[in-house]
Amino acid sequence: MSTILTHIAISDGKIKRSSLEVLSHCKALAESGGHSVEAVIIDEKASSYVEDVQKYGASKIYVVQDPIFKNHMNTPLLKAFANVMEAANPFVVAFASTEGTKDILGALAANQNAAVLPDVSEFELTDGGIKAKRPVMAAKIIAQNEAKGERVLVSVRSGSYDLAENPTEAEVVNIDFSMDESELKSTLKEIISASGDTIDLNEAESIVAAGRGVKDEEGQNLISELASTLNAGIGASRALTEAGVYDPSLQIGQTGKVVSPQLYIAVGISGAIQHVAGMANSKVIVAINKDPDAPIFEIADYGIVGDLYKVLPPFIEEIKKIKS
Amino acid sequence: MKFYVCIKMVPDVNAPLQIKDGQLIQDADRMILNAYDASAVEEALVLKEAHGGEVEVVCIGSAKAAETIRKALAMGADKATHIQTSGDERYDSGTYARILAKFFEDKEYDIISLGKQSQDTDSGLTGSMVAELLDLPYTTNAVGLNAEDGKLIVKRQGDSGQEMIELSTPCAVTCSNDMNEPRIPNLKGIMASKRKPVEQIELSSMGLDDDALSPNTNVLGYEEKPDRQAGKKYEGEPDEIAREVAQLLDTEANVI
Repeated sequence: MSTILTHIAISDGKIKRSSLEVLSHCKALAESGGHSVEAVIIDEKASSYVEDVQKYGASKIYVVQDPIFKNHMNTPLLKAFANVMEAANPFVVAFASTEGTKDILGALAANQNAAVLPDVSEFELTDGGIKAKRPVMAAKIIAQNEAKGERVLVSVRSGSYDLAENPTEAEVVNIDFSMDESELKSTLKEIISASGDTIDLNEAESIVAAGRGVKDEEGQNLISELASTLNAGIGASRALTEAGVYDPSLQIGQTGKVVSPQLYIAVGISGAIQHVAGMANSKVIVAINKDPDAPIFEIADYGIVGDLYKVLPPFIEEIKKIKS
Repeated sequence: MKFYVCIKMVPDVNAPLQIKDGQLIQDADRMILNAYDASAVEEALVLKEAHGGEVEVVCIGSAKAAETIRKALAMGADKATHIQTSGDERYDSGTYARILAKFFEDKEYDIISLGKQSQDTDSGLTGSMVAELLDLPYTTNAVGLNAEDGKLIVKRQGDSGQEMIELSTPCAVTCSNDMNEPRIPNLKGIMASKRKPVEQIELSSMGLDDDALSPNTNVLGYEEKPDRQAGKKYEGEPDEIAREVAQLLDTEANVI
């Protein structure tokens, strides 16, 4: 029997849903293969999340709690992981593919001499490792990969697996951690937060995304109104984040976030492959664009050909009617 | 400031693709400088112009990669090292990282920079692997770089906001293509690039054993993405079609 360890990512005081999706999948893999599934929480308030993690079936939960984990910093995080690996001796370590994960995954693999497959959309266990699917070539095709080794790391795209509750009384293991700040050769000086209470795009049920067609404040107001009507997250194409119209953390695409919400409304977005790479796995796609030949229509379930400034007001009004 | 920028030749993802017998076939064998690496070169050049120093590019690849190296030199890099491979190898990020780490073992530098990922595989592992193997402080997904008092100040895109990180040098950093628009080489740059030194190193002469070179991940094959059919397109009176689609999202798609 070997151990599958799942990392539980915490962001803004909440467990990332995508981590629990990964844990749910690992639990299913463990049950069918006769393995044990364990979890690790590394945070300034790590213990406070134990109860919620127990709902998803980990038999052991490693807790690394220290004020240094208030904000993401790779050096302490890598040190904490090294300590946890020593205690857990896992065969597979699974992560949700967040920016925080991307920052450490390669270094951790090198440190642990582990095989690693990042950003997969599916994975299963094999005799000596894992098999996984990864979108490649700007997500135009899927590569089937295998990783072999005594230790294998894998990160999973959000929305790849469903949540499955499976309450288990877990053993909680506190891992000692200490780090002298003077050991740090890198320091976090400042965090420039995205404005206000924006909805995490990786977790959002619905996303309204703005593209080049959204030209001015009037257009942005329409985007905001549609998003708040649907309780949706706001995303943007690279053109608008580069122009400084939307915060860079809202960029969707190959360079930015990869999302898979239930509903994705692309407003004034033409559908360049780099953008599509970040949203093609959305369940239902609506495109609003005045160019009937825009490539976004090739993947949209509902394509509205029209000027967004004329389409959005009645669209919003109708949704408000439905909602009430 | 001495910059080493690691660059890679990658297939152009915009070129048409097909899968034959599980293998990936590119209709046009269009190979380009990885866009993220181009941003890393650009940012190194900007810092060199501001603070002085030297920008050297390092590229692991077949003889064909000479074009990719030339492009970086034409942009303004001072010199290059080409670590030559046969081109038939199936290396993964770990292999590339071990080769690069071996190369840097006896080098002196302030900053090693790389693109944050390759635009063909989007793995994004090599940078932090190299940093770990060389025991360097590092950060990834940089959207801005600045040098101050021998330190590198990096603005990086994190999960929910941007983080300002100060790294002591030597250090490593991986660059997003959001940090700049890489310059297009002009004629003068292209002419000058032909006179710039490119050191050739045979991979086999670097003293790496089979263990270091053998990848621990493999591509087993490729498959098409599950087809996403185009749905219905609605054209006509904006007021009517907008309301119609809104209704369908409720009654048909059930997502409102």
